[in-house]
Amino acid sequence: MENEKIITVAHLEKTFGDHQVLKDINLEVNRGEVLSIIGASGSGKSTLLRCINLLEQPTSGDIKFHDQSILTSDFDMTDYRAKVGMVFQSFNLFNNLNVLQNCVIGQTTVLKRDPEAAKKVALEQLDKVGMSPYVNAKPAQLSGGQKQRVGIARAVSMNPEVLLFDEPTSALDPEMVDDVLDSMRALAHTGLTMILVTHEMAFARDISDHVVFMDQGVIAEEGSAQEIFTNPQKERTQTFLKRYLQGGMR
Amino acid sequence: MKQHRNFLVWLGLLFLALLAIPTQTSQAADNTFKVGMEAGYPPFNWTQTDSSNGAVQIQGSSSYAGGYDVQMAKKVAQSLGKKLVVVKTSWDGLAPALTSGKIDAIIAGMSPTPERRRTIDFSDTYYKSQLVIIVRKNGKYADATKLSDFKGAKLTGQLNTYHYTALNQIKGVIKEPAMKDFPSMRVALESGTIDGYVSEKPEGISVTRANPNVKMLEFKGNNGFHTNPADTDLAIGLRKNDPNKAKINAALAKITPQERDQIMTKAVEQQPQSKSSGNWVIALLKQYGGMLASGTGITLLISMVGTIVGFIIGLLVGIVRTIPRSGSKARRGLLRVVDWLLSVYIEVFRGTPMIVQAAVVYYGAAQAFGWNMNRLAAALVIVSVNTGAYLAEIMRGGIIAVDAGQFEAAHALGMTHLQTMNKIILPQAIRNSLPAVTNEFVINIKDTSVLSVISVSELFFQGSTIAGQNFQFFHTYLIISAIYLILTFTITRILRAIEKHMAGPQNYNLMANQDQVSVPKNNPEV
Ligand SMILES: Nc1ncnc2c1ncn2[C@@H]1O[C@H](COP(=O)(O)OP(=O)(O)O)[C@@H](O)[C@H]1O
Ligand SMILES: [Mg+2]
Repeated sequence: MENEKIITVAHLEKTFGDHQVLKDINLEVNRGEVLSIIGASGSGKSTLLRCINLLEQPTSGDIKFHDQSILTSDFDMTDYRAKVGMVFQSFNLFNNLNVLQNCVIGQTTVLKRDPEAAKKVALEQLDKVGMSPYVNAKPAQLSGGQKQRVGIARAVSMNPEVLLFDEPTSALDPEMVDDVLDSMRALAHTGLTMILVTHEMAFARDISDHVVFMDQGVIAEEGSAQEIFTNPQKERTQTFLKRYLQGGMR
Repeated sequence: MKQHRNFLVWLGLLFLALLAIPTQTSQAADNTFKVGMEAGYPPFNWTQTDSSNGAVQIQGSSSYAGGYDVQMAKKVAQSLGKKLVVVKTSWDGLAPALTSGKIDAIIAGMSPTPERRRTIDFSDTYYKSQLVIIVRKNGKYADATKLSDFKGAKLTGQLNTYHYTALNQIKGVIKEPAMKDFPSMRVALESGTIDGYVSEKPEGISVTRANPNVKMLEFKGNNGFHTNPADTDLAIGLRKNDPNKAKINAALAKITPQERDQIMTKAVEQQPQSKSSGNWVIALLKQYGGMLASGTGITLLISMVGTIVGFIIGLLVGIVRTIPRSGSKARRGLLRVVDWLLSVYIEVFRGTPMIVQAAVVYYGAAQAFGWNMNRLAAALVIVSVNTGAYLAEIMRGGIIAVDAGQFEAAHALGMTHLQTMNKIILPQAIRNSLPAVTNEFVINIKDTSVLSVISVSELFFQGSTIAGQNFQFFHTYLIISAIYLILTFTITRILRAIEKHMAGPQNYNLMANQDQVSVPKNNPEV
């Protein structure tokens, strides 16, 4: 398995009004790799993720999926989004659908899978995150940790090539965080390509192949998990990590 | 979900089909003689439930019209060699119905006044009448013999009639606002809000026969009203330049004054009387149950179809108005124009009374384009379009109120805008707007009563007709109120149950074992 680039970000810029949020971002993600993006709140992590799956339109620069730019006008956005899944901080489960339907709907409408086949996939993925007993529950009837595990099952049910996580545990009560992290760890072990924005430093250190530290819209430092967490070079990175490490790693 | 959608499609088609039905009368114009009358002004014309005494079935109804006017109309139709069709039309709707071609003649106890002559033509006289005043038997004015005795009396007359303007001849009279019809004046007289009303002799005979508490006052010579033959004479209203006018006059000339008196005497005797034996509710329901049932049915039909179609219109408008303004310049420009048109629609229909919309659409379409709509179809269109305008804003709000995260999650899965709306956003927006739709349904049930202006025989129209016949105003309207209340109450309960059902069960069933891949019994709705 030679380094096969799945996502390449080149000179990406994003501006809201006259506020430049991302400045000259360059990034490569290889197949099977887990990339963690860390950094202070407001540094542009979410905006970067949202640009990657086109929830935001980049101002300039380029993003490539395999060898193809995703920013050309004739690019098949629907197909691309089906291949790049997303797990949200605020879960965003479909409130009108129950747990099973949440995991089926994308498969049947976007991938045009047969409903029975889609149900089978959904049940399998729900089972992996320990949510199969709750197939009939509506999102409003679940705890935050349960919702997020359904959110993961929903994304994985699409058999994505890449999965994006935007602070998946930040909205959770502490006692629920571990269940979600366990599910993510299991996913990482299957070899799924993952881009992860998180404040769970211990978790990021354990599962990441590559770590990016963002500060005020730029990538301030990047390297392997080992390099960033045990031997950060930049002062900004050190200050940031110190603050998190003081709070204790989970 | 699927069944539900089919049902809506089916309803929509039915609605379109109704629109497409041209009035049978306009197609068969050549061999029918369509006569407009209130069918609520005995003894000239009234509504009854059977065909006794030579009554004629009312167009589009299971009721019959009887009375002096109907007998005259029969003779005229016969002389023209045409089949008589009676079109029940409210007083104010008679002239527009004639000029717009919905009827061929007005035979409704109408006088050929100069004002009316400006818009329509008249035949020769078919009845000569005399003004009287109806008062309470035990009232202060029961013994009046001349007009000047009415100084300080509160009197009124029917709107747009010379009865009302004749009040100007009484010095010192307190002229109360004119009233819409005779039933209203009778209620007002009995309840004491007026001391009397101006009427014509036949109506006076009828009302005194039916109600022992009132008295008709006739005046001799110069003691009474000075009237113009143009007023007291009753004539048949015709369109200007009607080629049949000469034939009609010839037919009228053949009916001698003696014959006219005979017909009038018979009409006064034959007019429907209230049967006042036993329990009044049972008696009333027995006699008029059919009319009340059909009125209830029509009210329910109009308000239900109007609410459902209005809901669909509102939903579509709401969807169009929430399409994201993105893409090419041309696309954005088009969206802006459509949005502007839709907001004009909403403002116009929310900003004008439905009664005005009904009159403009029904009579206006006929007058301006010769477009002769089926009465019921017109009612359905008006209520639907009106409801649509109200619900459009509610649906738009409902769509906007759905959390932005729901859109993002759907887009992130690869769903298109259309799929996102269909599967995720609209189900939530619709559920949130259901209480407003229920509310609109209840409002529609009550507001269909204004459609009496285009003579749709809904519940209120039937109620007024019944009250006009049996003179039991309070009782009749009490029963009508009860029916309205039962309708709105039941429908509120039913829709609340539907809301609850859509919200799904309060609890979910845990599927046996945490490790077991269990197949749920109920299929997902996809
Ligand atoms: N839609 C938007 N409009 C304007 N400013 C935005 C928008 N989204 C994010 N920003 C700004 O961009 C910056 C980076 O935001 P974000 O990417 O959410 O940061 P992070 O996820 O690292 O906390 C913040 O200053 C934020 O206020
Ligand atoms: Mg963020």
